[in-house]
Amino acid sequence: MNAPIIDPLQGDFPEVIEEYLECGIMKCIAFNRRGTLLAAGCSDGSCIIWDFETRGIAKELRDNDCVVAITSVCWSRYGHRILVSAADRSLTLWDVITGEKITKATLQQTPLLARLHPGSSTPSICLACPLSSAPTIVDLNNGSTTALPVVCEPGTGLVPSSRNKFSDGSAPFTPSAASFNKYGDLIYLGNSKGEILILDYKNNQVLGVVTIPGGAIIKNIVFSRSGRYVVTNSQDRIIRIFENLLPLKDGLRALNEISESIEELEGSDKLKAVGSKCLVFLRDFQDTINKVQWKVTCCSSDGEWVVGGASIKGEHKIYIWDRAGYLVKILEGPKEALIDLAWHPVHPIVVSVSLTGFVYIWAKDYTENWSAFAPDFKELEENEEYVEREDEFDLVPETEKVKESDVNEDDEVDILTVEKDSAFSDSDMSQEELCFLPAIPSPDIPEQQDKFMGSSPKLADSNHSEYPLSEEAQQNGHAMNNGSTPAEGLDNSIAEDTGGTCLKRRRKPSEKGLEMQAEMVRKPLKKISSGKSSKLKNRFAIERDTTSFCAYDDDDDGGDDDDDDNDDDEYE
Amino acid sequence: MTTSAPRPYKPYRHHKFLTIHTAPVSCVKFSNDGTLLASSSLDKTLAVFSAQNLTLVSHLVGHSEGISDLAWSSDSHYICSASDDCTLRIWDARAGDCVKTLKGHTNYVFSVNFNPQSNLIVSGSFDETIRVWEVKTGKCVHEIEAHSQPVTCVHFNRDGSLIVSASHDGTCKIWDVETGQCLKVLIDDKVPAVSFAKFSPNGKFILVATLDDTLKLWNYSTGKSLKIYNGHVNRVYCIMATFSVTNGKYIVSGSEDNCVYLWDLQAKSMVQKLEGHTGAVLSVACHPTENKIASGGLDGKIRIWVQD
Repeated sequence: MNAPIIDPLQGDFPEVIEEYLECGIMKCIAFNRRGTLLAAGCSDGSCIIWDFETRGIAKELRDNDCVVAITSVCWSRYGHRILVSAADRSLTLWDVITGEKITKATLQQTPLLARLHPGSSTPSICLACPLSSAPTIVDLNNGSTTALPVVCEPGTGLVPSSRNKFSDGSAPFTPSAASFNKYGDLIYLGNSKGEILILDYKNNQVLGVVTIPGGAIIKNIVFSRSGRYVVTNSQDRIIRIFENLLPLKDGLRALNEISESIEELEGSDKLKAVGSKCLVFLRDFQDTINKVQWKVTCCSSDGEWVVGGASIKGEHKIYIWDRAGYLVKILEGPKEALIDLAWHPVHPIVVSVSLTGFVYIWAKDYTENWSAFAPDFKELEENEEYVEREDEFDLVPETEKVKESDVNEDDEVDILTVEKDSAFSDSDMSQEELCFLPAIPSPDIPEQQDKFMGSSPKLADSNHSEYPLSEEAQQNGHAMNNGSTPAEGLDNSIAEDTGGTCLKRRRKPSEKGLEMQAEMVRKPLKKISSGKSSKLKNRFAIERDTTSFCAYDDDDDGGDDDDDDNDDDEYE
Repeated sequence: MTTSAPRPYKPYRHHKFLTIHTAPVSCVKFSNDGTLLASSSLDKTLAVFSAQNLTLVSHLVGHSEGISDLAWSSDSHYICSASDDCTLRIWDARAGDCVKTLKGHTNYVFSVNFNPQSNLIVSGSFDETIRVWEVKTGKCVHEIEAHSQPVTCVHFNRDGSLIVSASHDGTCKIWDVETGQCLKVLIDDKVPAVSFAKFSPNGKFILVATLDDTLKLWNYSTGKSLKIYNGHVNRVYCIMATFSVTNGKYIVSGSEDNCVYLWDLQAKSMVQKLEGHTGAVLSVACHPTENKIASGGLDGKIRIWVQD
């Protein structure tokens, strides 16, 4: 909506930590389709849904039976359901709006990863990748499981039908990674021999095979949001990106057609030939210096950037490459290991989970666009030679005498039609999408309102002017202590929250942000934002009602709010 | 371009007036589902009526000073009111009790609006700032030093990503909700003061009222004003205007000559002047589905106009 007036020239990847969310110890995260809600699975078995716009908790899904850590969360296509897999071998399907459990299934082994079928809004099947056996399809209605083939017999192209045995004798405890394609008609499975198998899971048949040179175990395999790219993370510390050549909607049928068209080959050769027509290797990404083992990998929402998350020596590092292979950025976080990562579906925001349970939100470093304050100001990329008009210096220039409005005032103005959002053009809006959970204001607790202590620990360094501290009652003190976990810092809304979990939000300014703040003094910031260079003292009266005459004095800037004064005291 | 003949304009006629307030009515608004009508007044109370039969549903008392503005949440359950006691209050519209009080402004709060998702509230105040509040917890998410004089109006756009703000300093600015940054300044003349600004239903245009008897429709991405509506009187008060889209497209506004004005959106011509109030009309509201207009003003009465 605001695309026309936001500067499109800034690089579209995050740069600094904007904020972090804390509530319990979070283990894994997933965005819903539009990125308005973030589901986070915790170590105590509950799943928290954050409203990403307000960065507050929207809902908490808690199962009293399940008190072990959550291993993965997955949204259904339109955001009505969430599938949660936990360390007690259970898979639970929740209804998001009501917060009720729909169904629960228990598997033989703990699923490390569970994915709902992406094709429908109320999926009944899901894909579970257990810790030490083949990925299985679980039917959530009756709890039945079907193991997927992990290898294909060399020479025959047949598939072993037994469940937990591997007929070629490969080690039984290597996990395999699998993922649905965009519409869920095929499964792409990466096995321990470095092969990507393209499976028709309904018939339990391998239709194509793609071999990765080197044959390292594939740890993760993910699709990009558009379904056009497949990214794999292998044991040999290399992230690879493939292009999916199959059509998005009817992949299975196209695959069958390709399969039929290759008649002259048999067995595994045929599978490889078919595979090569479905996935084409584009590029690999690695850290050649440190040979980092990647924990998580994913693609940006538009497929432009490939992200790898790693924890080297217990540090939080996120590498961002563009698709051509160039490393554009390394995001370094606090000294906590990284365990999960997700790119926002729409905005250039990355969310990462650290071992301590915090969720860090990385975003672009916003610099105030000062030229926005002058309505007819035009920013130039480079110097342009200015050629003055003939009558530029005339007392009354010709061109100004005739002031024509170049807008035809009789044109029809359309105030009702809404443009379709191009980012979501593939959605068939047959089903209402769940974008937001209704925000119900939690009632004020009467005695808290008076008890608020006026002094909340102040910042030693100020954060962005958009989030200033305020001394008034009921305002949260965004207390920031550099580095270590803030223990005090009264957030007044915590006192008011009727929920049991403690919820704190803190913002950590980046190094760069701090430097910029040090340069920009706060007072001129206020003045600039007002558009004038000096405040005029004028007695201003506005009459909105006849009964009370409100006279407003434009006071001197220095003594304006309490905010200002206190900030000056602390601000170096 | 219309190929069919334009429909003849059916005039609105006075239907009823409601006297509940003992002081001027500052704002009237229909709920999104069209079932309720809320009004706020300088007598420090709000009143909620059924839109169908205009009976009083609840009377919201609690503010310690007069109320300047109110807003409905999208699900029509909650009302947020902006008051001269420097606070905002969130009320349960039907039950009539105050659920939450938002404190933080240091001067009269003049304008308030929910975002379409209704998880945020934006408020503009005489302390020259705009504050964005989280509905659920009441926390202030952004405090923006927006203007150099009182902020007269704030409004979210259709997807809740932008806020337009108008102020007595003569500027109309557009802010990004997520970062609190100013994205654009639409008007930057020091006079006249901008008394009202509102996004069109599709979020592409902004209707701006200035205290020189003018209403303009701007395309904010190009920064050009497309239509001008004149004929009413607006020099002193912050009078609300709105779009009427239920039966043809019109602009409806109050006026200081005690009338409600209706203009054809495209042709810019005034099509009707509704008389009946005995004081300046400060606020008008259009029912979301029916051809009904509610107006309130200095005379303390709320008048309902319907179209036959």
